[in-house]
Amino acid sequence: MLRVEHLTKIYPNGTVALRDVSFEVPDGEFLVVIGLSGSGKSTLLRCINRLIEPTSGKIYWNDIDITSASPSEIRRIRRQIGMIFQQFNLVKRSSVLTNVLSGRLGYANPWLSLLGVWPVEDRQKALRALERVGIADKAYQRADTLSGGQQQRVGIARALMQDPRLLLADEPVASLDPVLAHSILQYLEQLNKEGVTVICSLHFLDLVHRYATRVIGLKDGVKVFEGLPDEIDRTRFKEIYGEEAQEVRAASL
Amino acid sequence: MKNTEHLIRLRRIFTQVVEAIVIGLALYASIQVTQPDFVKLITAAPKARQVLRELLAPDLFTRESEVVTVGVALPVPCGSAPEDEGRASGPRLEVEPKCAAERETVVVRGEELGKGVQVTLRWRLPDGNTLGIQRLVTDAEGNFEVRVQVRPIVATKGGQSARIEAEVTLPGGRITPSQTLRDVTDAMFVTIFMALLATTLGTLLAIPLSFLAASNITRRGRVGALVYYLVRTLLNLIRSYEPLVMATIFALIVGFGSPFAGILALVIVTTASLGKMFSESIESIDPGPIEAITATGANRVQVILYGVVPQILPDFLSFTIYHWDINVRISTIIGFVGGGGIGDYLSKRINAFEYSKAGTALLAIILVVWALDFLSAQIRKKLI
Repeated sequence: MLRVEHLTKIYPNGTVALRDVSFEVPDGEFLVVIGLSGSGKSTLLRCINRLIEPTSGKIYWNDIDITSASPSEIRRIRRQIGMIFQQFNLVKRSSVLTNVLSGRLGYANPWLSLLGVWPVEDRQKALRALERVGIADKAYQRADTLSGGQQQRVGIARALMQDPRLLLADEPVASLDPVLAHSILQYLEQLNKEGVTVICSLHFLDLVHRYATRVIGLKDGVKVFEGLPDEIDRTRFKEIYGEEAQEVRAASL
Repeated sequence: MKNTEHLIRLRRIFTQVVEAIVIGLALYASIQVTQPDFVKLITAAPKARQVLRELLAPDLFTRESEVVTVGVALPVPCGSAPEDEGRASGPRLEVEPKCAAERETVVVRGEELGKGVQVTLRWRLPDGNTLGIQRLVTDAEGNFEVRVQVRPIVATKGGQSARIEAEVTLPGGRITPSQTLRDVTDAMFVTIFMALLATTLGTLLAIPLSFLAASNITRRGRVGALVYYLVRTLLNLIRSYEPLVMATIFALIVGFGSPFAGILALVIVTTASLGKMFSESIESIDPGPIEAITATGANRVQVILYGVVPQILPDFLSFTIYHWDINVRISTIIGFVGGGGIGDYLSKRINAFEYSKAGTALLAIILVVWALDFLSAQIRKKLI
């Protein structure tokens, strides 16, 4: 259970990214966050694992206060929270396998990992993760030799290495060809069915309808909607995206 | 409206005139101060020719003239001493007959001495003194034959017979590097290794400093910002000192002409310059992977090793090799102010008016700098 209470983030330049956002995510949910670019979706996800420090408010995860965790506590919390990114965020010059193994750094022996030495179990785990996302044959290639869809699957494999209880996905399909969106989201759906809570920001409404169990809408850092995907009708849509918005379907592109 | 336009144009012309006057005054002042004497470039031509002729004739090789001495014993009279069996092949002397009485004439033959070679024929007397016979030149087969009269002075003394010897000077023996070339090579290696050592030490110092001077790594919180500005200022301060000035100071401390002075100066210059270049390379990396690896629960050092190092390694290697190249160049000059190596050699030869030796050093510098430039460019091309 993740509980966000009165979360506010004001950047040093005065931009208010989140204003008093509160919600709860029960275990096993596939929560989708929607909203325009700049509405605070990325900030919200990064506050949950404290890649960004919230200005005020509290975040509890299984009754542990994430917002006041010490540096070593936050590292222990982070290793159970997988994260995948719009730009994949792979180390391009490193091999696919090294990228996947880096997902295990939070668990690894700090000294051995600095020498680049990995236990056999971790290597096997990495190869199994790559097998699971269907690119085991690319393990020893440089990450930047892969296509966008393949790189995002490496990102998922890296998150799998953490044995995550919670998965944060920041626009995981926005940099991909729309036809690849389902192939990536199906992996997230599968993980969700295995019991991993997923919080995912998305752009396309038809994807929201297809995958979300619940939806939060953000507008200018304020929560303007919370409910089931089916509840997003034309009026709700205009509320979240503004009057001029037109719905675009991933499938129609 | 028309008036203001006019005014603006007038003001622009006025500014341009003032600028022209200022530049003109500055140029006039610099000529007054430095007193360039362009006429001298022409009047000094004879001197220039003399200096350049020597500089352009570097002392590189010496021809080793090999001197071979062959000999044969001649007992006088017969039986006073053992006869010489002689060798069957190779450069050798033969005498016919193998012994003689005083005032007889013998035939001396030289074999396989090389064609057209100068031969000095002489007696080696029993007491060790020599007595010249004649100088001659071998024929096309490398042989000679000459009749020699046996004089009483060559008679055997105390069972020791006199010998006939031929000293053969083989022209154009092996071509060997001159002493100058060997000295220059030694000094050049000192310079190259000086630069190598300085670059290595400088790089080792620059790496930690560059991370401290990279805003995306260090500038977090108040302490981080303080460290960042301190290191950055330190690097900028050091970089404003010329390596030559620093080498002079170190030469005063650790001894003039010692490579160590040059190394110290180069280490500091390299640290400052690479520290700056490295930190800029760190600042330009993709922050995405750092974010991703931080999100896995990795600690700060793990993030740097897995997220930062792979991104900066090619840059770091490339900059380091490039700086070695620069350091070789600087260290050739640093010798002039007491830093040791090829520059030290060059300045000493010039002060001693040994321009031909100086020319050898100059040639070596040109070749080495050119070769390193090429080499470092090739390696760097591979890295990127």
